[in-house]
Amino acid sequence: MRRSLKRMALGLSAVAVVGFTVAACGSSGSGSGSGSTATTAQKPTNCAAPENYCVGFVTDVGKIDDKSFNQSAWEGVKKAVAEQGVQADYIETVSQKDYATNIKTFLDQKYDLIITWGFLMGEATTKAAKANPKTTFIGGDQFQATTVPNLTGITFPEAKAGFLAGALAGYMTKSNKVGAVLGTNTVPPVVQFKEGYEAGAKYANPNISVKSTYHPGGADVAFTDPAFGADTAKQMLDQGIDVIFGAGGKTGNGALAETAKKAGAALCIGVDSDQWLTVPEAHPCLMTSAMKLITPGVQKLIAQAKDGTIKAGGFSGDVGLAPFHDFESVIPADVQQKITDLTAKVLSGEVPTGVKQ
Amino acid sequence: MTGATTAPDTPAPSGPRIDVGRWMRPALVPLVAIALGLLLGAILILSIGENPLDAYGAIIEGAFGSPDAVGRTLEKATPLVFGGLAVAFAFKGGLFNIGGQGQILIGAVFAAWAGFTFDLPTVIQIPFSLLVGGLAASLLGALVGWLKAVRGVHEVISTIMLNFVAANFTEWLVNTSGPFADPPATNPSNLARTPLINSSAEIPHIGGLPLGFFFSVVVATVCWWLLERTTLGFEIRTVGHNRHAAAYAGINVVLLTILVMTISAFLAGLGGAVETLGVTGRFEPGSNAFLGFAGITIALLARTNPLAVVPAALLIGALQAGTSLMQARTGVPPEIVDLIQAFILFFVAAPVVVLWIIRRRGQEEERLQLTTGWGG
Amino acid sequence: MKLDPKVKRIILWSIVAAIVLGWILAYRWDADQTTAVASRTVRAAAPLLLGALCGVIGERTGVFNIGIEGQMLFAAFVGFMAASYSGSLLLGIAAGVAGAMVLGLFLGWAAVTLKMDQIIAGTVINVFALGFTSFYYVQGRTMPSFPSWSVPGLDGLPLLGKSFFSNPPLTYLAMIATVVVWIGLFKTRWGLRTLAVGENPGAADAVGVNVIFKRYVNVTIAASLAGFAGLHLLQSANSFDRGMTNGQGFIALAVMIVGRWHPFGAAAGAALFGFCIALEAQLQFNDALDIPPQFFGMIPYVTTIAVLAIAGIRARPPAAGGHPFEKE
Repeated sequence: MRRSLKRMALGLSAVAVVGFTVAACGSSGSGSGSGSTATTAQKPTNCAAPENYCVGFVTDVGKIDDKSFNQSAWEGVKKAVAEQGVQADYIETVSQKDYATNIKTFLDQKYDLIITWGFLMGEATTKAAKANPKTTFIGGDQFQATTVPNLTGITFPEAKAGFLAGALAGYMTKSNKVGAVLGTNTVPPVVQFKEGYEAGAKYANPNISVKSTYHPGGADVAFTDPAFGADTAKQMLDQGIDVIFGAGGKTGNGALAETAKKAGAALCIGVDSDQWLTVPEAHPCLMTSAMKLITPGVQKLIAQAKDGTIKAGGFSGDVGLAPFHDFESVIPADVQQKITDLTAKVLSGEVPTGVKQ
Repeated sequence: MTGATTAPDTPAPSGPRIDVGRWMRPALVPLVAIALGLLLGAILILSIGENPLDAYGAIIEGAFGSPDAVGRTLEKATPLVFGGLAVAFAFKGGLFNIGGQGQILIGAVFAAWAGFTFDLPTVIQIPFSLLVGGLAASLLGALVGWLKAVRGVHEVISTIMLNFVAANFTEWLVNTSGPFADPPATNPSNLARTPLINSSAEIPHIGGLPLGFFFSVVVATVCWWLLERTTLGFEIRTVGHNRHAAAYAGINVVLLTILVMTISAFLAGLGGAVETLGVTGRFEPGSNAFLGFAGITIALLARTNPLAVVPAALLIGALQAGTSLMQARTGVPPEIVDLIQAFILFFVAAPVVVLWIIRRRGQEEERLQLTTGWGG
Repeated sequence: MKLDPKVKRIILWSIVAAIVLGWILAYRWDADQTTAVASRTVRAAAPLLLGALCGVIGERTGVFNIGIEGQMLFAAFVGFMAASYSGSLLLGIAAGVAGAMVLGLFLGWAAVTLKMDQIIAGTVINVFALGFTSFYYVQGRTMPSFPSWSVPGLDGLPLLGKSFFSNPPLTYLAMIATVVVWIGLFKTRWGLRTLAVGENPGAADAVGVNVIFKRYVNVTIAASLAGFAGLHLLQSANSFDRGMTNGQGFIALAVMIVGRWHPFGAAAGAALFGFCIALEAQLQFNDALDIPPQFFGMIPYVTTIAVLAIAGIRARPPAAGGHPFEKE
C-alpha cells in the first residue's frame, strides 16, 4: 500500500514537470498578458501585416518605470500609440549581454520599428540595423559616427540643459554655494550635465563655488541608491549649499527629496524630464528640471518613421528647462527674463557652454 | 564540516524504497525541488494576473526553441559554471568565497587586455589570454587566503570588501583616459570600455554553440578529478571537514588555505575571461553584473559537487535566457526567475520537505552541511 | 604577533586619543565641514550598526544570519508599501519590522527545525527578498517623510550637537539599541542564557535552557533590528527602490566581525565605515586631488581590510555558530 502511494507521489512529480513543459509549449504564442508594470493593454499582433505598424522598445539595463530616462521615452511611444495609431510593446533588458537577443525578439515578430534606448546599446543596434535593412531603427543617446541607412540616432545636448540649470542656480543662490549629486562618470550624458551645470553656474555668478559628487560605486549601483543621494545632499546642505542639482536616476531623486525637507532655505533642480510630475516628494524645493525633451522627440521620430520621412544618421533632440510650476512666484521676474534670454542664446549656440562634447 | 556529508547507505526505516537505480537517487531531490519551485513560481505569476503556462512556455521556447536559443542558453550558462565551480571548490576546502563577483570582473578585464594588446596565433592567444585573466583574479584569492591563514581575517569580509574594490578598480581602468580605455578613434561616444579584442583571441562558436561552454565542462571535470582523485584534493577536503584534525595529521593548513582560495578565484577569473573572449569581445563595467552571486546559488544547488554544477548552471542559464521572450509574450517581470531560484534552492537544501513528498523520512545523509563556523 | 595586554591597551587608548584630537583640530579648521562630515558619519553608520547588532544577537545564540541584506530589503519594501497605502508612517514602520521578523522566523525554522545549512538559509532569504520586492514593486507611490528630532539643549553642543542630537528617530534608535543589546547580552539572565546557548548548547540544554525556543526567539528579535536597518535606509531615501540595500547587509556582517561580535565593537566598526563614506564624499566636494571618484569609492573597503589585517587578532566567534542543535 505504502509502496504504491510512494510510486504515485513520485509519478506525480514527474508528471508535473513533464506536464508543465508540454502544456507550456502547447500554449505558447497565445499569450496576452497584462502584468502589473505593463502600460499597454494589448500586445501587438500580426505585425507582418502592412496595416499594422508595430513599435518595439528595448530599455537599457533598468526598468521601464524608472521615473526618468526610460519612462520619458516610453511616454513618447505611448503618445504615438494614441495619436499615430501604432502598436507598441517593450522589453526590459536585464543584462548588457541581452541587447542582441531582445532586439531579435522583436525582429522575429516582424516589428516595423525598433527603438533601443541607451548609449550602451549603440553597437548592438548598429549591427542589427545593418543586418536588417527592411526594419527601421531608432537609437536613444546613440551618437552616429557613420550613417546607417535605416538607423537614426537621437541625441540631446545635455551640456546645454545643464548650463541653463547651472545659470538658474547661480542666480538663485543666496550663499554662493551650489551642488550637484550625480550618478557616475562612466555615463557620458551625466558628465555632460555636470560640466554644463558648472559652466552655467560660473557664467551667472563668477564668485560661485560648485561642488559635485559622483556616486562612488559602479554603474550598476550608482543610479539606484536614493539613500546615498539623500545623505550626500544633506552633507552638502549642512555646509551651506542651497541649490542642489540631482542628476543620477534614483540616486538623484533621493537628493531632491532630502533637499525638499529644507524647503524655504534650499532649492533643487531635477533632470531628464519634468520631475515635478514624477517626483512629488520634491515639490517643496523643485524649481525646475534640466530636461532632455525626450517624449516629444521620440513621438516625432516615430511619426516620421511611420510616414517614411525619417532621416538616417544623427538627430538632435531639444533640451530646455521645465516649467517653474509653484516657483513661478518665487523666482524673481528679472531672473526669469534672464533665463529666457539665455535659453535662446545657448540653444542657438550664441553663448557657448564651453563643454567638450 | 563542509561538503555533502554522505553517510553509508542506511536502509529506509520501514516500508518501500525507490528502486530507480542508485545513480538516480541523488538526482531525485533536486528534480522534485525544481518542480516545487516552478509550482510556487506559477502561483506568484497567477497572483499578478498572468498565465504561468504562457510564461513558462515562453521561457522554454526562448531557451531551447531554436539553435540560436540553445546557443544563447549555453552562453549564459558558461559563466555560471565557472562561478559555481569557484564557490564549490572553496566550500570543499572549508572556505566561503563570496568574492566571485570581483574575481570575475578582474578576470574579464585582464583577459580583455591580453586580447587587445597581443596578437599571437589563435592557438596560443586564447589560452594565453585566459591564463592572464585567471591569474590576475587568482591574485585576489591569494590575498584573501593569506589574510585568512596568517592574519585571521575572515574570508567573508575580505571577499565582500574586495568585490567593491574590484568593481571600482575595473571601472577606473576602462573609463575615459584610464589605462585600458578604448581610445576616441574607435570610441566616438566615449564609452567606458576596453577596445575590442583581436580576432585571434576570440573563442569561436562551433555550429552555433559556444566553445566556451564545452571548455567549462572540461574544467568542471578537472575540478572533480582534482578533488576526488588526487592527494591534494584529499588534503583540501580534509581541511574542509576539520582544520584541526588536518593540522594534527600534518597537513600544512596555512598553505592549503591560500591555495584553495587562489584556485577558487582562478576559476572565477577564468569565467570572466571566457565571457570576454567568447561573448562580449571587450570589457564594459556592468556587463558581468550579479554573476558572482549567481555562482553561490549554483554551487549550493549542486551541493558543492563540481560535476553537478554544470546541470545547475544550465537550469539557471535557461531560465535567464528565456526571460526575453517571456517579457515579449507576457507581462511577467523578469524577477520571477530570481524567485524561482530561491524556491528551488530552499527545497534542495531542506530535503525534509521534498523527502516528505516522496515519503523518505529520516534519511539524514541527504542533508547538506557546509558551515564550518566563522572561526573555521 | 603576540603583544603584552598592557601594551595593547596603551595602543588602543592612543588610537582613541588620536581620533579625538583629530576631530578637534578639524573642527577648529572648518567647523561647518567637520560637523557635516560628523553628521554624515552617524547617518551612514546607523543602518550598518543596526544590521550588525542583528548579526550579533543571532550569532551569539549560535545561528549565522547572512540573510541580513534580504531582511533589510524586505523590511524597506513592506514598510514603504504599508506607509504609502495607509498614509501612516507608524504603520509603515510596524509593517516593515513585522516583515523582517517573518523572515527571521523563517531563518529560525530553517536553521533550527529543518536543520538546513545556515548559509543556504541566509542565501535563500537574500535571493527571495530581492526577487519578491522587485517583482511586486509598483512605480509612483509616495510615503510620508520621517520627522527630524532635536534633543533640546544638547543639540547646541559644538560638533556633537548637530551630529548626534539632531537626527530622525531611527538614527537615535540605533544608538539606543547598541546600549540595550549590550545590557541585554551581558547583564541580564536572558543574555547569559543566550551566550551559553551559543557557546555550548549541550551544556545549556543540560541545565534546562530550552535551546530550540531560545534560538527561535532570538533570531526573530534580531531580525527586527535588521528591519529597522532597512527602514533607516527608507528614512534617508524617502522612497523604495529595487535593490536599494546595495550590499549594506553584507557590510553589516563585516562590521559585526570587526566589532568582534560585541555591540560596542560593532558601533566602532560602523562608525569607522560611516566615516569613510562621509570622508570620500567630502573629498569629492573639495576636489581634493585630481583623483577619479572610483578611487574614493574604494576607501571604506580598503580601510576595513587594512584595519583587520593590522589588528591581526584572530576573531573568535561563538563556538556553536553554524551548527544545528541536536538534542542528545
